[in-house]
Amino acid sequence: MKTRYANPYLIGALLGLVLLFCFYTMGRGLGSSASFARIATAGVDLVAPAHAAANKYYARYLGGGRSPLMAWLVFLTLGAGLGGLFSAFISSRIKGEVIRGPRIGVGARLWLALFGGILSGFAARLARGCTSGQALTGAGEMAFGSWVFMFCIFAGAYATAYFLRREWL
Amino acid sequence: MGPLYKFGWFDFAYSLQLAGLIGVMFGFLLERAGFGNARKLTAIFYLRDFAVLKVMFTAIVVCMVGLLFFSVFGWIDLSKVYLLPTYIWPQIVGGFILGMGFVIGGYCPTTSVVSAVSGKLDGLIFIVGMILGSAIFAELFPIVEKFYSSGSMGAVRLSDVLKINSGVIALLVCLMAVVAYWFVEKVENRFGDPETLPAGSRKVKMWAAAVLVALGLMLAIINPDRIAAKKTAAPAEKKPKTGAVQKVAPKPAEPESSGAVIIEDEGC
Repeated sequence: MKTRYANPYLIGALLGLVLLFCFYTMGRGLGSSASFARIATAGVDLVAPAHAAANKYYARYLGGGRSPLMAWLVFLTLGAGLGGLFSAFISSRIKGEVIRGPRIGVGARLWLALFGGILSGFAARLARGCTSGQALTGAGEMAFGSWVFMFCIFAGAYATAYFLRREWL
Repeated sequence: MGPLYKFGWFDFAYSLQLAGLIGVMFGFLLERAGFGNARKLTAIFYLRDFAVLKVMFTAIVVCMVGLLFFSVFGWIDLSKVYLLPTYIWPQIVGGFILGMGFVIGGYCPTTSVVSAVSGKLDGLIFIVGMILGSAIFAELFPIVEKFYSSGSMGAVRLSDVLKINSGVIALLVCLMAVVAYWFVEKVENRFGDPETLPAGSRKVKMWAAAVLVALGLMLAIINPDRIAAKKTAAPAEKKPKTGAVQKVAPKPAEPESSGAVIIEDEGC
């Protein structure tokens, strides 16, 4: 089962134009990880509103008298889901499965996905953005920290890759 | 003149609809590139498939060159575009951890969304992890707050730190991208699977690279910083004229709802 996807240079150029359009219309770039922080905030706010209000970090998403989910990036992330769904649908790539290498079990892969997600969620908050909101957007507008951040992502990933080869190869 | 939202062309409610539209294009492109599949994404770290780097670098270069030309033509006021501030230490550490999370979990935040909607359970679990990770960060915020705001350098560009004008930086980035493409394709051809690597005509690639470098060279000669500086200096003298132009934008420069929207999480 070998899939050849679209040409990465073409996709990259189109993505650059989308990002440019975003800057031109909104004066800001793409992003998504803050949506997950907002979902976390909404969840905590629902269960323990006093605790959420007392925490300085949750509090930044709570003000303004509207739900923490009523935010620009949340709508962008919803849109991304819709766009991804459409693309997967037209290429018949919608299929319930767990992506993993041939040498790892489903359970182990899912635990690693959870752990990797936790690390990414934490890191994205620490660095004020993820691969799209910080690396892609920031590098496109030549922000200094974003360039450093992007190279650190690659450094971190290449440093870890050897130890996880059983997960993917 | 852009950015349209900051000049009051539309309000918060419309901006949310626009967010949905931009998101659809974003997600669509990511899935097209195969970024809903963790093995395709992580193949870059085993030197087999550099699609991640190609997509990212191309997007960055196109956007960067586009922004500078827009600014030269007077289509966008770059000083009104939100520039991500630099907090160098948390960005270095955060980048490193995010990279580890990428290899361990198989995704980065946006690609996990694309993965989950196409039925990948690992993508969905990754999202659950991210929500937990964000909550852990918030719970630990009193402890990490000091580190979180350390190394603040303000909203600085590469051109400010390296003290070179942004046209020259653009040229250097274009050259770097072309060299990187050439290099990773060599590596791919050695380690990758020729059946899944993208086919592409050598001639088209050479032309595209030449156009890219030529655009960079033009920017280096034009020097967008100088033109932007001239433009900001000029309107101050001819106040009445800018007033006439602003008829297009009925509202004042700042949108009404700015207080509720533009907060510190403008990053991802």
